[in-house]
Amino acid sequence: MPWLWILIGVLVLVAIVAILGYNKLVRLRNEVGTGWANIDVQLQRRTDLIPNLVETVRGYAAHERGVFDEVTRARTALQQAGSPASAAQADAGLTNALGKLFAVAEAYPDLKASENFKELQGELTDTEDKISAARRYYNATVMSFNTAIQSFPWVLFARGLGFRDREFFSAEGDTAVPQVSFATGS
Amino acid sequence: MTLQQQIRANRLKSGIVVAGFVILLLIVAGLIGAIFDLSLGIVALAGAAIYALFALLQNRRMIARMTGAQEIDQDQIRPLHRLVENVSIAAGLPVTPEVRIVDDPAPNAFAAGLRPQTSYLGVTTGLLRTMPKRELEAVLGHEISHVRHRDTYLMTMATIFAGVIALLADIGFRMLIFGGGRSRKGGGALIAVLAIVGLLLAPYAALLLRLSLSRRREFLADAGSAEILNDPEAMALALRRLQLDTTSIKYADASVAHLWVESPTSRVETERTGVSAMSTLFDTHPPLERRIAALEQAGGFTLPDALPADTPFAAELGIT
Repeated sequence: MPWLWILIGVLVLVAIVAILGYNKLVRLRNEVGTGWANIDVQLQRRTDLIPNLVETVRGYAAHERGVFDEVTRARTALQQAGSPASAAQADAGLTNALGKLFAVAEAYPDLKASENFKELQGELTDTEDKISAARRYYNATVMSFNTAIQSFPWVLFARGLGFRDREFFSAEGDTAVPQVSFATGS
Repeated sequence: MTLQQQIRANRLKSGIVVAGFVILLLIVAGLIGAIFDLSLGIVALAGAAIYALFALLQNRRMIARMTGAQEIDQDQIRPLHRLVENVSIAAGLPVTPEVRIVDDPAPNAFAAGLRPQTSYLGVTTGLLRTMPKRELEAVLGHEISHVRHRDTYLMTMATIFAGVIALLADIGFRMLIFGGGRSRKGGGALIAVLAIVGLLLAPYAALLLRLSLSRRREFLADAGSAEILNDPEAMALALRRLQLDTTSIKYADASVAHLWVESPTSRVETERTGVSAMSTLFDTHPPLERRIAALEQAGGFTLPDALPADTPFAAELGIT
């Protein structure tokens, strides 16, 4: 008879651990989702600013066709990017193209002095800061989610339960978020 | 300790704090009842409960008043608001906390509010005038970490309850001195002495309870800032700058001391008493030196002797 009780006890314990573990994975996955939504909002804001910027620059430097095309193409690529990694790649491409656009703008003092242009430039800088902030959070959530589903025992079940590794939001050459760990004596 | 464990631990501790304060409250009310009258004890208890409830509902305003934080149109401090926005995004907070300004020359900051959605940050004008952008961001990261870890929740609860007990014990004590007790039965003298001692000690017990909660989370918030911004050096630099600064905050209200990034009262205390070993027991914050050392160790760097002479952030806000 005691064997039965021990068996029941063990089963209950296993069930509790399994439930807690599963809930943790779900929570981590939702955090990744929130993190991605944050990035998406900022990427959207960035792509929304581009047409306005291109029009403004075109008003002063109509013949710089090549640069406008490149920016527009980079913008389309970002809109069409499906996965975090490709979005990061496209975002880096857009940064590159915008760099050229601003380099061109340097040659037009009237454009540089225009309030509209300055404002757009400020907005873009702010959006870029926010993208990098959102990226830090997103990558940290991906890191903890991936670590959780790659650790024993979840590595055995995670795929079966529909948990897949998530991609980092990083273009090539980027490094993942380093973790600062603290050991304090107090 | 992961973030979730930290949050869970804070919830548990908040529960313990509330329970601890309720017990303390019962003791104080019991003492008042023992000295004067049972019904007076009950009245005191009911009054305290109503006050605590009111304070809980009004905590944002109450803390604003105790710290001297002014509400300000966020558009007027747009660059600062943006900075907070960026840090909040990096921390994954659901909303960006509002920023309030404390007009005080001493550099300091705090976070208040029960939930992330209702939290706000207080920043002194002194902080804006001393800190360059990078270090200001680190300080904001520290405060946002308090919000994220639910430290503000625990601290607000503790502040309110400590205030209630101090008030009640104070009233009881005054009544004892000025009003005199009702006729005491035989052997009442001993009870009266014990009650007086109890009433005297209750606020200190509340204070110690509150202080015990505070110190470890300063390290954790420093670490949180370093992690959010991926820049432990910025936090250490900011702390060093606070250390070198000698202005003390005007609003050194002891009941909100634990909310600030740097203890607003410890320096005053240490200067007054000249005994630092004694003050560590009553300090709300660990010494800045140890916090800097912890950051240096975690980040694997050593602070340079001289601080960078960058322009303070106040310039961007047009405050001089």
